[in-house]
Amino acid sequence: MKVKIKQWHGVASWLWVANDENCGICRAPFNGCCPDCKVPGDDCPLVWGQCSHCFHMHCILKWLNSQQVQQQCPMCRQEWKFKEGETT
Amino acid sequence: MNDSSSVLLPQGLPAAWDTVTAALVSPSTPPPVTDESVSEALTLLCKKGLVQYVEGWLLETLQVSLASSVAPEFWAGLQQPEGESQERDRARALLEAFRTLLQRLQPFLCGLERLGSWQDEGRAGLLGPGAHGLRERAFSIIRAILLFSPPPVLQQRVLEFYSRTFSVYMSQLGEQIEPDDVAAESDGNDVCTGCAAAPQVCWCQDALEQLQEFSHILSRLQLLERVSSEAVTNILHRLIEQRMEQRCRGEYERSFLSDFNDWLEQVLGWLSRVFASEVGEASTSSLPTEGKLDYVGSTILQRWRCHMQQFFCRIYVNMRIEELFSIIRDFPESTPAVEDLKFCLERTNQRQQLLTSLKSAFETRLLHPGVHTSDIITVYISAIKALRELDPSMVILQVACQPIRKYLRTREDTVRQIVASLTGDTEGCSELASELSRADPVTLETQDSEDEGSDPEEWTPDPTDALTDKTGSKRRSSDIISLLVSIFGSKEIFIDEYKTVLADRLLHQLNYNTAREIRNVELLKLRFGESHMHYCEVMLKDVADSRRINTNVHEEEARLPEEEQPPVPLSAMILSSEFWPQLKEEKLELPAAVSKSMETYTHRFEKLKAMRTLSWKPHLGSVTLDVELEDRTLTNLSVSPIHAAIILHFQDKGTWALEELSGVLGVPQELLRRKLALWQQHGVLQEESPGRYSVLEKASSRERPDRGIMLIDSDEEGDSNTTTQSEQREEKLQLFWAYIQAMLTNLESMTLERIHSMLRMFVATGPSVTEMDVNELQAFLQKKVRDHQLIVSAGVYRLPKTTQ
Repeated sequence: MKVKIKQWHGVASWLWVANDENCGICRAPFNGCCPDCKVPGDDCPLVWGQCSHCFHMHCILKWLNSQQVQQQCPMCRQEWKFKEGETT
Repeated sequence: MNDSSSVLLPQGLPAAWDTVTAALVSPSTPPPVTDESVSEALTLLCKKGLVQYVEGWLLETLQVSLASSVAPEFWAGLQQPEGESQERDRARALLEAFRTLLQRLQPFLCGLERLGSWQDEGRAGLLGPGAHGLRERAFSIIRAILLFSPPPVLQQRVLEFYSRTFSVYMSQLGEQIEPDDVAAESDGNDVCTGCAAAPQVCWCQDALEQLQEFSHILSRLQLLERVSSEAVTNILHRLIEQRMEQRCRGEYERSFLSDFNDWLEQVLGWLSRVFASEVGEASTSSLPTEGKLDYVGSTILQRWRCHMQQFFCRIYVNMRIEELFSIIRDFPESTPAVEDLKFCLERTNQRQQLLTSLKSAFETRLLHPGVHTSDIITVYISAIKALRELDPSMVILQVACQPIRKYLRTREDTVRQIVASLTGDTEGCSELASELSRADPVTLETQDSEDEGSDPEEWTPDPTDALTDKTGSKRRSSDIISLLVSIFGSKEIFIDEYKTVLADRLLHQLNYNTAREIRNVELLKLRFGESHMHYCEVMLKDVADSRRINTNVHEEEARLPEEEQPPVPLSAMILSSEFWPQLKEEKLELPAAVSKSMETYTHRFEKLKAMRTLSWKPHLGSVTLDVELEDRTLTNLSVSPIHAAIILHFQDKGTWALEELSGVLGVPQELLRRKLALWQQHGVLQEESPGRYSVLEKASSRERPDRGIMLIDSDEEGDSNTTTQSEQREEKLQLFWAYIQAMLTNLESMTLERIHSMLRMFVATGPSVTEMDVNELQAFLQKKVRDHQLIVSAGVYRLPKTTQ
């Protein structure tokens, strides 16, 4: 007997490779989107800081814009710097 | 004059009395005494003060003669042809009796006339009620004595006579009145339709003439109303009922109102003959064919017309109330019946009856376990349509359909059915789909808003049978979809269900063709509002994105050399897990070649979308494959991944034991056995000994497949990929269990309502507590009771001692 597979339709779900389930700012799941967005994934990406914490990009930008003096990671209070080459 | 009379006075008194009385009761028309002598006699009597007794004497004489001779003679005459059964003779006897009656009373009537005219003229100072008043008195005496307690024979005869003349009349107008009766009597013989006698002895014409005379006599005696009304009423009622039974029952696609009115006009033609003498004296010579008498102005006929219309309405409404369920079931076709019913119902005040009857019809015919949910929904939809025609105030709809709504709430598949028919999935029920795509949809939001912009001048009060509920008429919507959705009180439940249905469908077809779904989502957005359909939009976008990613991946693969191509051509549906309903988790170990392809695919995806990866659901999806056997090839089979995995394993090794295969696939044996059935059904595999399966290379050696096995698997093919609604709800309620336990630990015992309100208060932040209703909670608690995690007694819940 020979079985020839012509087409295999699989089902998968995508997920962010992050070390946490939820965004530390909006508490929504990373695989969902930030409160201002409707569509997850490309439209609502994650960003990583050099401190290795990550957030929804929109969330951390909003946070950084609201900080007057110093721009810190809301989790570890280290100075916030985007990790190079990780944003989409 | 005075002088001459004074001469006659002393001896002439008795003579004068005789003269006067003779003049009053003489049987012959030309009075035997001259007018002059009567006048003289009257004057004499007047002088003596006796003249006022004349009137009394006359009436007394009438009364005595009526009681002693005329009335007995009349009744005897009526009953005369005792044993004879000839209808015709009976009619004749009836007429004869009345004729005699008239004859006997004639002298008195003439006398009265005379006395009356004297009184009117005021002759010889004669005073009295005058001709009119006298007549009235005399006739009340006649009525009193003759008809005080008439034996039933009179009514029978009159009824018979009228029925006959009626049928004669109608048959001459060319209408057959009682086809049943005629057919029964004739037995196929040639029979006159009017008098039901053989043609040579037809007495139709006689009957009509008799009717004429009969009416005339009766009206002379002022007995017409008395004698005829009952009979006529009886006949008409019977006829209307009969006609209704024959023509209208079960026939909903034709309007009967104008039909009835035409018929009524004909009947009035006959009535005008019955009441001919009162209607107009001139009509005596008219023939039935000339028919149309000028009866419109006549008050009697007007009264009869009203009466009959009223009666018709009542009968009609009664009949339609009985049939209302069927009418609703046939609705778009039965519109004429609904319109007729609406017209009649407005005139008969039978709404209450209609409501009760319809409600119980629903309960007995529709709301029992034997009826499919989709059928209930279909009937409910037609009820909405029919009843909004019938009663624009929607009160009937609201009240009568209460039981349906209540019942639908208890059916588990209601929501699924409604959603399926909304999206046009079920064949039978396309109504909702077309309703959904209607041009001017009612948004469910604006429905609740207070101001509908209607003019306060146009406000009308609710009918008295309206439910006195909180919101009044504004809430009484007639929009089918909003009514269906409001069965459950919230639209979230529908949207969730729709999500599930949509997910199922997208996962089943896997061809990335979403035109129809996009249309449905757009339509639903108009109904439910943009924000609620957001998840569905993401789902559809996932499909579109998946297609793009697939194309991308495949293009890249095509550039690779032959040997680096992945072993299995793989395409993927990539979901945003947060936005899809929860998918069933099943374990399945795919064959190495497939998992390798999936890994490659994942790598390409990771390259495409930085920092993202894929998590495969191995048991979901579909596989198209060919199976080549020694003597035959099965092409383009479309199977589920587990089926494909099974057959791939058999490719490497011809015979497998069940437990062995189960170990390799990571699938429980029982499930595996069912899945193997598909391949047995295709004749590819056989169970050579219990628990051992092998490939059937040659079709000739194949045994007949076991029928039973086929069925087991086919049941499962239509299975949904998503967890069911009730499972999901269960899970949600499970969240509350901890709260409930804590509450019961502290407060020891609580009623259902208390628990519900406490949960509402404390768990307000939870995702779904607002849409949890008491019934659901009760069901949940009952389940806990069955599992011995809870004790209930006298409506109070408590925790069992041991678990505390």
